[in-house]
Amino acid sequence: MTDEGLRFVAMALAIGLGAIGPGAGIGVVFSGALQAMGRNPEAEGMLRTYMFLGFALAEVPFILSLVFGLLIGFSII
Amino acid sequence: MRIRNAVLVALAIGAVMYFGLGLVFPREDLHISVKAEALMCIGGAMDAAHPGECASGFPITNSLVTTIIVDVLLVLTVVFGVRRAQLVPRGFQNFVELVVGTFYDFAVGVDKKNVAKFFPFAATAFLLIILSNLLGLLPGAGSIGMCQPYAHAATAGAEGGHAASVYAGWPLTCGADELLVPYLRAPSADLNMTLALGLISVTLIQYFGLKALGWEYLVRFFNFREGPMFTVIGLIELISEVIRIVSFAFRLFGNIFAGEVVLVVLASLFPYMLPLPFYAFEVFVAAMQAIIFSVLTLVFMSMATQAHGGGHEDAEHGAAAH
Repeated sequence: MTDEGLRFVAMALAIGLGAIGPGAGIGVVFSGALQAMGRNPEAEGMLRTYMFLGFALAEVPFILSLVFGLLIGFSII
Repeated sequence: MRIRNAVLVALAIGAVMYFGLGLVFPREDLHISVKAEALMCIGGAMDAAHPGECASGFPITNSLVTTIIVDVLLVLTVVFGVRRAQLVPRGFQNFVELVVGTFYDFAVGVDKKNVAKFFPFAATAFLLIILSNLLGLLPGAGSIGMCQPYAHAATAGAEGGHAASVYAGWPLTCGADELLVPYLRAPSADLNMTLALGLISVTLIQYFGLKALGWEYLVRFFNFREGPMFTVIGLIELISEVIRIVSFAFRLFGNIFAGEVVLVVLASLFPYMLPLPFYAFEVFVAAMQAIIFSVLTLVFMSMATQAHGGGHEDAEHGAAAH
C-alpha cells in the first residue's frame, strides 16, 4: 500500500471512528430534550438553550476528529 | 409571462455558461490551507518556497482583511442604526433593535440577575462571529484571489524576483507554477482568531467570578478545608478552566474550517447542485456556532458568579427579590 493510500485509510478511520461517540451522545441529548419538552411544554424555551449547549459539547470530539482527519488526508501533518 | 420567459432564458444561459466554463477551465488540485495565508508583507518579502507565508515583515493575511471588513461593517451598522435614535424606531434602527433585543431576551433567560454585566461581551462576540462566519460563506470568498508563485525547488532559483502576479482573469485558473491565495477567508477559520476569542472569554469569566465573590472565588480551585476529596475536585476544576480555552478555540475553528473543506471537496467532486444542501447546512452552522459561543460564555460567567456550596441560598434570595 502506498503512503498516500495509507493516509486516506487513516483519514477514513479517524473521521469514522470519531463519529461513533458523538453520534450516540447527540442522540441522547436530543431524545432527553424532546422528552422533557413533551412532558413540560412551558419549559421549552429554556430547554432549547440547554439542548443546543449539550449538542455543542457533544459535538466537539467529532469536529476534532474531522479536522485531524482532514489534516491527515491532505498530508498537512 | 414575459418576465418569466426572460428569467428562464437567463437561467438557461447561465447553466450553459456554467457547464461550458467547467469544461474550458478544469479544476486543479485541491489546495487547502489550515492557516491564513499572507497577501502581502509590510516591511518584508514573501517567502518564495512557501506561498502564503512571509519570509520577513508583518504579514497581512486574508483572514485579517476579512476581520477588518467585518469590523467596519459592524461599526457602520451601529453608527447608521442609532445615529438618529427615536423612541419609536423606524427603518434600519428597527432592525438593529430587533437583533439586539432578541439576543438580550435570550441572555435574560440564562442569567436574569447579572445580565447587564455579561451582555456586552456576549453580544459583541455573537455579532462578530456570526458576521465573520457568514462572510466566509460569501461566493467568491475562497475562490477569488491572487496568484502567488508556487516555487518548486527547481523554479525557485530561476525566478528570483518572485513578485506576486495579480491574475486578471477567471478564478481558479492560475498558472502551473502558481497557487491561488484567496483575498477573503472566514476569520473564524483562522486558529489565531478563535484562540484570541477563547482567551478573552475565559479571562472575562475569571474576572467576573473574582469581582462577584472576591477571594472566595479561588476556593473552588484551591479547597484545602473540606478534606482531600475537595482538593482533587478543585484541581480538576482548575484544569477544566484551561481546557475551556482550547475547547472554545477548537470548536469554532473546527466547525467553520471543516465546513469550508467539505464545501471545497464536494465542489471538486461534482460541482453541480451537490454542494447546495451542504451550503445551506453551513449557513445554519454559522449561526449556530455564534449562538453557542455566546451562550456558553454567558452560562460559564453565570456559573462563575455563583457562590461555591451556597448556590441554593443565593438562588432563593434572588427569587425572593423579584
